Amino acid sequence: MLGTNLERSPAADLPASEVPELRRYRLRRSEDEITSYVGMIIFLGSWAMMFAALFFAYAVVRVRAPMWPPPDQPALPILIPGLNTVVIAGSSAAVAVAVRAHALGRQRRAAIGLGLGAAFGALFLALQAVVWVGLWRAGLLPTGGPYASVFYALTAFHALHVVVGLVALGALAIRAQPPRGTTRSAVRLWGMFWHFVGVVWVALYVAVYLL
Amino acid sequence: MTAAPVPEHGYGLPHDVSVDGFRVDELIHFTLAAITVIFAVVAAAMIWSFVKHRGGPALYSHGTRGSIALVVGAVAVVLFGVDGNLFVHTLADMHRYFWNFKRAEASPGAVRIEVNAHQWSWDARYPGADGRFGTQDDVVTTDDIRVPVGVPVILQLASTDVIHSLYLPNLRVKQDAVPGTITRLTFQAKTPGEYEIACAQHCGPNHYKMRAVLTVLAADAFREWLAAAAEDARRAYDPEDKEAQWGWEWRRFEP
Amino acid sequence: MSTRAQALAEAAQPIHPPPTSFWRQYVFSIDHKVIAKQFLWAGLLFLLLGGTLAMLIRWQWAFPYRPVPVLGQLFLRENGGVIGPATYQQIFTTHGLIMIFFAVTPVLIGCFGNFLIPLMIGARDMAFPKLNMYSFWTFLLSQLLVLGSFLADLGSAGAGWTTYPPLSTNVGTPGLGQTLVVAAIFVTGVSSTMGAINYVTTVIRMRAPGMGYMRLPLTMWGLWLTAILNALFVPVLGSAALLLLLDRNFGTQFFVAGASAVRGGGDPILFQHLFWIFGHPEVYILILPAWGILGDVIPFFARKPHHWYKGTVWAMVIVTVLSAMVYGHHMFMTGMSPLLGEGFMLFTLLISAPSMLIVLNWVMTLWRASIRFDTPMLFALATVFVFGVGGLTGLFLADISMDLYLHDTMFVVGHFHFTMAAASFIAAMTGVYFWFPKIFGKKLDERLGKAHFWFTFIGITLVFAGQLVAGYAGQQRRLFDPFQYTFIQGLRGLNRWTSFFAFALFAGQFIFVWNFFKTLFGKTVRAGENPWQVTTLEWTATGSPPPFHNFDRIPEVVRGPHEFSNPEVRRLTGRDFAGQSEVLPGSGEPALAAARG
Repeated sequence: MLGTNLERSPAADLPASEVPELRRYRLRRSEDEITSYVGMIIFLGSWAMMFAALFFAYAVVRVRAPMWPPPDQPALPILIPGLNTVVIAGSSAAVAVAVRAHALGRQRRAAIGLGLGAAFGALFLALQAVVWVGLWRAGLLPTGGPYASVFYALTAFHALHVVVGLVALGALAIRAQPPRGTTRSAVRLWGMFWHFVGVVWVALYVAVYLL
Repeated sequence: MTAAPVPEHGYGLPHDVSVDGFRVDELIHFTLAAITVIFAVVAAAMIWSFVKHRGGPALYSHGTRGSIALVVGAVAVVLFGVDGNLFVHTLADMHRYFWNFKRAEASPGAVRIEVNAHQWSWDARYPGADGRFGTQDDVVTTDDIRVPVGVPVILQLASTDVIHSLYLPNLRVKQDAVPGTITRLTFQAKTPGEYEIACAQHCGPNHYKMRAVLTVLAADAFREWLAAAAEDARRAYDPEDKEAQWGWEWRRFEP
Repeated sequence: MSTRAQALAEAAQPIHPPPTSFWRQYVFSIDHKVIAKQFLWAGLLFLLLGGTLAMLIRWQWAFPYRPVPVLGQLFLRENGGVIGPATYQQIFTTHGLIMIFFAVTPVLIGCFGNFLIPLMIGARDMAFPKLNMYSFWTFLLSQLLVLGSFLADLGSAGAGWTTYPPLSTNVGTPGLGQTLVVAAIFVTGVSSTMGAINYVTTVIRMRAPGMGYMRLPLTMWGLWLTAILNALFVPVLGSAALLLLLDRNFGTQFFVAGASAVRGGGDPILFQHLFWIFGHPEVYILILPAWGILGDVIPFFARKPHHWYKGTVWAMVIVTVLSAMVYGHHMFMTGMSPLLGEGFMLFTLLISAPSMLIVLNWVMTLWRASIRFDTPMLFALATVFVFGVGGLTGLFLADISMDLYLHDTMFVVGHFHFTMAAASFIAAMTGVYFWFPKIFGKKLDERLGKAHFWFTFIGITLVFAGQLVAGYAGQQRRLFDPFQYTFIQGLRGLNRWTSFFAFALFAGQFIFVWNFFKTLFGKTVRAGENPWQVTTLEWTATGSPPPFHNFDRIPEVVRGPHEFSNPEVRRLTGRDFAGQSEVLPGSGEPALAAARG
């Protein structure tokens, strides 16, 4: 029942920030929302297992390799991906603000937050593309053995999730603008997905680029 | 001198020609007896219920303390009596015999062989007179592994293409050959003769043809054969033929 | 009159009008009952396909190099009707994959999961009906990919159902067929995950008022735990399939090693880890729903409450947890470290305790019962039998030293056929016979059902026992011509007889097909709301088949699922059972008290 419940609190015009009970009242979840929230948690748990398996593969391949990176292959950059960690953190923060604003009925603010999140996401992809092109030019091709395999597979698979989230956030940002509006569940769930993608990135940055 | 592999009689385990194979057989027989008893008891209880209580009024019970204790007790008996027994025996057998490479390596007469599996045959390499692999007198055979009777044999296995599994039904052992790693296997034959080497892991359309022969020779016969073969190998050695030089330095696993 | 809890449930799940257009009603339906039927059809069709492939394997072992009658002329004409080694490896590979992923899974989990979960817990539909629909159509796509693979150059997949690399990479099986099948595994994994998320959420969130976890029918426990395993471990298989696809199509080196590897290459054993981290839970994914179905059907027809319901529930939970920690016993021969191997052996042996407890609880349920030997009960009892054989033979394989000899032999094949094929399949048949009146509104013919039962039970036992005996004598699995080996030559007669039993077993299944269509399209009287006189919500709180919204009023559950032969209930109603939501005449308090005690 995703997206069937458009919450319209009875006192939508009152400034919730001044009445704590009202704020709490507007943030409470309906039965349907809780159901979709539970579903999302299970989905993310599922997806976390998938990434866990990929990280496991990375660990096994790396432990087996005598040299990491192999002597004739370029080391991975740290700076741009590090910057990307900041970018994706900013993006997550923007989305978090948007989710809260949307829950309190502030549509415009929510739309801006979502848009900002999407923009940061796009920046993330652009920077990631810079990393890929740089390494490709330096001679690191996906066919170049296990080192290249894990790097390209993990980053590409993660980037694919960023693309999905990006499209969704963009669409939500457009729809969230008044007077159309979008459901609270949709914003909250995509927000959760986006945080998940961010957390995976941090794990990926630490495991693949830093260590 | 030796007989070709012969068909087995009946449907039981193939005849055992190894020193330690009886340990596997004993466990198998124990397990077979245990599960037969368990199965018979459970089946009898069920059939008794079918026949005896058929049509009668059912007992209204969600389980009493006594009946639950009976179930738990039966499970405990099986767990400790059968599973526990198996666990302890297997642990001992694996440590002392089947995976005890330390003992095999330390044994003075031990025979070391490198086996390279590939689609669809088994290449074996013996170190020759100098006792080292990768030298000119290495004896290389295809689908024909010869070992002496009564001493530990250690195989190190590798594969060049896909995963294979070296299986000696008459010696109750098996070991995968995995590309990229070296695995090992040890056994000790006790009866001279010719036995089959089989591939147990599906390795392509001709998996079924990946058959080789294990010849167990008397100690002198083995020594004679190896010496003659090493002499031939030294004469036939061709340094240009890189394909033939697939051997590796014998891997030491124990520190 | 409805209670406060019921009113709240009604408010959370209002009745929606049923769709009217043909497409929305029968094709792109979001009704869990229609989706269940779609899964049933898809699964049964592939069951037939997988069974046919099995017959080809059996033909090969009975009469190697001889042309296959009928099928050979249809599909192997360029080869004169004879199965060649390359064709043979595709046959056994696709047989395994189809049976596990595309036949048993859709019937046990897709059909029964979808149909029963909302009905048995008292919900109007799944938590996410649309996701449910996507799950089916994704599944259908994966089936089409498998079918498509047969048309590819070089044929379909040939690396075994376990798809071990490097054999499953371009090193061993080039061609589009293997790629399509690996892609199909990935896609069906996505479908299973979607279904699992839906099932888990539905059971957590949509239970009717009063339906506590300890009042769930055991079928629900089985399906729920299965869904949890699916949600956690199918994505791991997804990862493995994904990496394998990258190796095949983009030249990466995760699993390639040996001569064709670049810079040392990857690790073939890595795939086995990923595969079996999924693959062993998968065994339980297929057996837990079967246990669940038995846990209900046995008390239903024994007219007696399930013995120690809570013990069975906790045993199933323990199996679920342990199932993730035993997978290494599939890899004893890969050269794994002894310590790791022994750990896996210990957990594997431990898992026999809860399994045995579940079986003994069934036996205790049957003790001093008043058994009705209807077809579903016959199938259920046969499941206990074959599961017993399958489970007990697992003891040999849990053990490293016996595995030294038995690993990769036909003994393994016999063992997992007794559990996954025989037990899961016969349990699925139990379910089909039992819930057919609820799904289609009519009862399957009992006489044909019993004929089908005896063919199936005896046939399956003989066929898989033949496999066990062959493996005990040392015959390896997956041999195109086992009789290349001298030591197997004495098993020629055994293999041939096993094949004859298999042909009979296969032929016997057409009794079921006949029964199925005769009942569905013939003149049969309606079965009525509760033809088996049992207790769970789908039988006692709604019609057969149930309406689009399942329940006119969401029931309030007042007792556990197996309230049979309660003397107090008999005194009040004259019946030997009380529905889960049934309010007994008078206060009914004494009956409730008796149920609690």
